[in-house]
Amino acid sequence: MTSYSKEVIADLVAGTLPWPQTRRIMSAYKDDDRFFKYVSVLQDRVGWSDPILLPVGDHLFICQSGDERVTKCECGHSFGDYRKNWKLKAAIIVRDSEETLREIYPNSDLPDPDWMEIREFICPECGTLHEVEAAAPGYPIVHDFEPDLEGFYRDWLGKPLEPSNKGG
Amino acid sequence: MLDKPASALRIRERLLESERLMDETGCYDGITELKLRNQDPLKFETLHTKLRAYCVSAREMARRISASPGVREVGEMVVAIYTPEGDAIALSNGIMVHVHTMSRFIKWMIRNGYEENPQIRDGDIFANNDAFIGTVQVPDVMDVVPIFHSGKLVGWAGAVCHELEAGGITPGGDVALAQERFTEGLFVCAEKVGENDELRRDYVIRCERNLRMPIYWVLDEKAKVASCIDMRESVKALIDEIGLDYWMQVSKEFIEEGRRAQLARTRQLTVPGIYRGHTFYGHVTAGKPGYQPLGDPDWLYNMPIEMEITTDGKIVMDFEGTQPWGYHSMNCTPAGMDGGMFVTLTQHMNFEGLVNDGAWMATELKLPKGTWTNPDNEMVATATSWALLLPAYGVFQRLLSRSFIARGFVEEAFVGQVNSPMIEMGGTSQYGTPFGMAHFECAAAGSGALAIKDGLDTAYVGWNPESDMGNIEIWEQNMPMLYIGRSIVPNSGGAGKYRGGCSFLSTWLVSKTDHLRLVTSEHSSRVFDNGGLCGGYPAPTCQKHRAVRKSNIFELAENGAPLAHHTGTNPYRSELEVRLEGEHVTLEGPYITAPHKTGDVFTHSYNGGGGYGDVLERDPVKTAWDVENGFLTKEAAEGTFGIVLDEDEEGFPVANLDATKRHRAEMRARRLAHAKPVSEWIARERERVKAADFAPEVRKMYVSAIKLSPRFTKDFSTFWDVDAKSTFGVE
Repeated sequence: MTSYSKEVIADLVAGTLPWPQTRRIMSAYKDDDRFFKYVSVLQDRVGWSDPILLPVGDHLFICQSGDERVTKCECGHSFGDYRKNWKLKAAIIVRDSEETLREIYPNSDLPDPDWMEIREFICPECGTLHEVEAAAPGYPIVHDFEPDLEGFYRDWLGKPLEPSNKGG
Repeated sequence: MLDKPASALRIRERLLESERLMDETGCYDGITELKLRNQDPLKFETLHTKLRAYCVSAREMARRISASPGVREVGEMVVAIYTPEGDAIALSNGIMVHVHTMSRFIKWMIRNGYEENPQIRDGDIFANNDAFIGTVQVPDVMDVVPIFHSGKLVGWAGAVCHELEAGGITPGGDVALAQERFTEGLFVCAEKVGENDELRRDYVIRCERNLRMPIYWVLDEKAKVASCIDMRESVKALIDEIGLDYWMQVSKEFIEEGRRAQLARTRQLTVPGIYRGHTFYGHVTAGKPGYQPLGDPDWLYNMPIEMEITTDGKIVMDFEGTQPWGYHSMNCTPAGMDGGMFVTLTQHMNFEGLVNDGAWMATELKLPKGTWTNPDNEMVATATSWALLLPAYGVFQRLLSRSFIARGFVEEAFVGQVNSPMIEMGGTSQYGTPFGMAHFECAAAGSGALAIKDGLDTAYVGWNPESDMGNIEIWEQNMPMLYIGRSIVPNSGGAGKYRGGCSFLSTWLVSKTDHLRLVTSEHSSRVFDNGGLCGGYPAPTCQKHRAVRKSNIFELAENGAPLAHHTGTNPYRSELEVRLEGEHVTLEGPYITAPHKTGDVFTHSYNGGGGYGDVLERDPVKTAWDVENGFLTKEAAEGTFGIVLDEDEEGFPVANLDATKRHRAEMRARRLAHAKPVSEWIARERERVKAADFAPEVRKMYVSAIKLSPRFTKDFSTFWDVDAKSTFGVE
């Protein structure tokens, strides 16, 4: 069975693994022990001890925080119950004018701000840009991902989660 | 009609039986156990690989027969081998989107009694390019031949080429002005076009009389027939070797194995749950010549997609909430939607090459009737359905990628494909003859970023993983235009920790013609039809066309003065305006104007891919390299990415790490100062929503979605705490 060391997975996640090695990993049969090594790499990276249950973005994790399961930024800021849309607890910058769109697209033709805006969802504590939506004005904010956390741990990983009092 | 005896093949009954067995057992054709695989796995795998080799080899051989640069240069062709019921067993590389659309075509003939009339016999050739029967658009013409062994139908061989000229109301294949089926071009609706391994002369004459450039279509037909015969003979020789009974069983086991492999792959690579995303598409035709007033000239489509991954590994994609079909060329049939699903799965989850229709069977598409994904009117045009398909399946790629990131397979996460607008042309060629052609260099757009590296520059499109822009010299042989530039478009990838792949722009001099019609089928600049992921931005919207009529380029050349080779990086004044005199044109797509003449200059830009991750985390050293090589501008490096670049003694950019750190800290502080709590934004925005204070096209989009979708109505009403119907005046 294919398997890689935690160091290799750490370099892969950080984007620092040399390309020939990365390419071999992409072409090979997948390593079935990846998930827990990956979580362990991420757990070493974050500065807090709540166990990560599932990464849901580049710096965004569902973790067990006491008896709650919450979505947390890498900086430690909690967006609350993981079953709710974390974006609703984020900070937002909306680019809906030529001037603000031009900051991101200095040399290109721009969309029509009457038809389309850019919404940046930001951690209110550390300022990390977690997600960008390009949407028509008035379009509801998208709830990107509602994982079946219990089903994943129970049926796919074979390690059922302890029942949680709050947050699923 | 004379009474004829019922077909001896009884293939229709077999198809129904196969479907019944699948319903009853959940396994393909009732194959609940992979007996032959268990008996001798090595033989099983060897045979499957052999079939794949037959396909790859037949396609390569056929490409040498074709006269079309689309097929010869860019590889716009795919071939596959099918069961008697029309399910794909093995396929070649190439435009794999059509493997499943051909399956639909074969099944359509079986369901419609083709075994009785026009009959299915050894040596017959059937062709189709009707999307409601089974293809994506008119230029995707498919040919299939039955494979008989010992008097029994044992399978089919099929091939598809994308034709560069389809004889529609505008030249090329992706017919811009088609607003109904009747202007899309030459239709071949599941016809028997050949017998005894030979194309019928009357069919060839019909092609010759109805196409602007029949040499492409007719030689592609011969290429396809040759590849089908090649595969057929290979399969017959294989059956001689392994026996007919073994073949009939093993071909089905390959498909059931494919289905199981897809489910297992989903369980291995993803996380179960519900994933959501959306994208948009804007179309602008008001005042453009040739459009009939059949619907609103300008419109905006939303494409929300909900993907569910169930704990048994099934992927279900639901398009509820999207827009109705319209009088434009971008509608899609379920066959096209299936094809999009198939080619995406093939690239992202089944990359070892032994994929077949089994993978598709492990998925489900929910396509609401009456929408552009499943029109309830078969007269609609689908000539440019890729315009909506590509953005939609770009969303699918991002949804899948989020699942890969959650599971830890970050190397597979990919921000996805983008539209790559095609330029098409016709009129009088440089040889003084009538011509027509779709220019297929669009098959090399920028890809979305990966979660561990930048996207591919000028090297990816969703429909054909073997991306290729073709050689300039070959294209110049086929059109009355000469390249005076083909260059990377700086900043054309979406910004992010990893940027999207960049696109390129071609600049042409119209040469040796007094009548060149240039047409782009689609693509306004109004909205982003691609996206970023995990903090990455979308790639820029589709760029406008810039042209110069009656330019002074020959005079400049004679005087040895500098020419314009690209449009430059000033969106308000292009290099064409700086360097050339003449009538300057800046036009948002679609580009449909009066014919061009010798001396005119024309530019066309393709699209880059979306970015991944927070821009403020991008590597400054890599960025300096990007600026040096023209993938980013210094302006973007500093203003967008927060990277301060100095120059070394030779004038090359180098990253100033300390200044970058300071600049980024300021940018981050500015972000936090400008950002508002989402709850505040919602409260303010709600007032605008209550007043339906939007542009007419945006309002109309909401009205259409609300009329078609109770779920969209409920979600909209809940999110904004309004009554969506009364807000938009929907009864």
